[in-house]
Amino acid sequence: MVEFKDVSVTYSSGVDALNKVNLKINDGDFAFVVGPSGAGKSTLIKLVLKEIDATSGTVMVNGFNLKKLRRRKIPALRRTIGVVFQDFRLIPTMTVYENVAFVLRVIDAPAKYIRSRVPYVISLVGLSEKAKSYPTELSGGEQQRVALARALVNDPQLIIADEPTGNIDPALSYEIVELLKGINECGTTILMVTHEHDLVRYFGGRIININKGSIAFDEVIGGSNESK
Amino acid sequence: MKVSSFRYLVNQGFKGIWKNRMMTFASFCILLVSLLMVGTSVLVSMNLTRIIGGIEDKSEVIVIVKDGTSQADMQKLEQQLNEVGNINTVSLYSKDEAWKNMLDDMTDEEKEFFQYADDNPLPDTYKVTIKDIEKMAETTTQVETFDNVDSTKSPTAFADILISIRRIFTIVAFAIVLALVIVCLIIISNTTRASVFARRKEINIMKYVGATNSFIRIPFFIEGMIVGLLAAAGALLLTKFAYEGVYNIFNDDFKLWSILGVQNLYSFDSLLLPVAASYLIAGALIGAIGTSISTGKHLKV
Repeated sequence: MVEFKDVSVTYSSGVDALNKVNLKINDGDFAFVVGPSGAGKSTLIKLVLKEIDATSGTVMVNGFNLKKLRRRKIPALRRTIGVVFQDFRLIPTMTVYENVAFVLRVIDAPAKYIRSRVPYVISLVGLSEKAKSYPTELSGGEQQRVALARALVNDPQLIIADEPTGNIDPALSYEIVELLKGINECGTTILMVTHEHDLVRYFGGRIININKGSIAFDEVIGGSNESK
Repeated sequence: MKVSSFRYLVNQGFKGIWKNRMMTFASFCILLVSLLMVGTSVLVSMNLTRIIGGIEDKSEVIVIVKDGTSQADMQKLEQQLNEVGNINTVSLYSKDEAWKNMLDDMTDEEKEFFQYADDNPLPDTYKVTIKDIEKMAETTTQVETFDNVDSTKSPTAFADILISIRRIFTIVAFAIVLALVIVCLIIISNTTRASVFARRKEINIMKYVGATNSFIRIPFFIEGMIVGLLAAAGALLLTKFAYEGVYNIFNDDFKLWSILGVQNLYSFDSLLLPVAASYLIAGALIGAIGTSISTGKHLKV
């Protein structure tokens, strides 16, 4: 669960990135976050990951009060969140398997569990045959699926997808969102930031529109795919 | 942390060396040169101190005993001298021995002239070696107050020169070693920083997936430590060959030097353990800590 109460962020440069934002995303929700560049979408994600602190207000993420969260406890917060970035951010010197297994190693998971969980998650994103490949040997869509497997592997409560379709072919974008929808159906909360209005219109669901640091629109709309 | 996780991190450290071999090689070379510079300075410093120390040990104070002092008083004086804290050794150079030695050094004509002398005009003396040459003047003043001491003769001017040399040398050696250590640390820190900077994305990803700082640091730490140990081993080998070369050159002319009281250089075998330990510890620590410090800058995500 993600909850913002009167959250404002003012950067040291004096820019007001968020202005008294109130927002609640319940467990199991799927929400698109849309808005123009500079609207505050990235700031919202940075807050959830505790990359930055709110200037005022309270941010609650998966039971953590980020205002009170000590620096050394940040890893514990981040282990409840899976992140998918626009630029994939895979480790180029590791194979697909190692990139995914890496997350479980970070959380000190037993070796036996890693050996069974990682191939399973890689198969979920349809990349079993590429498990031994390196990221540079994969297409953009495949790399994003690896990133998705990595975000998914430790069974997080929340997945944040920051423009996950920004660097891949439009046709593959739908595939990625379908995968995210599938993950969401298993109970994982998904927060997807995107610029692609076609995609949002197609899938529908909860849309949070941020503009000039405030929430301009937060409603559930029907997707065009539902009418097909 | 589980054993399997620790094993994984150590393994990552070893893999990192190969994956980043160019930067690793750069770090290795810089560390090797740095260790050699500091190590050579320390070895030169140690040996020069030993040489000066040898000359100092040769400086004697002559204590001249008053004429007509009885055997009992002589013994008492010798005991008093032995009780002085700054006196190392006390040896009697009797008037008879001195007279005999003097005659031995004379030409036949001189001997003929002196051998009929009724009385031995030379005094009994004590040859005293000093522990701390800097306190020589103080010690001779103290000795002169003892009963039956006529006077003392001490090479204070020579001692002063030695003291000055030692002081200047100590300051210069310390300054050189300190400067070298600082320069080495700066260079190593920059090299490791460049190495870590090249992998900042990797560190960044680790932070996003919830890695603790220690989890991120351990492979870098191990990588730095291994490079440090390899550089130390290289430095040790090079030092051994270079030192033994210098030692052999010095040893060939040692008889000439020993006349001046100069002691021989330390043999490398006698220094092997401390030199090896210093190199390995310094190499491992500089490598590991240098890398960890540089990593720290990228951990604040």
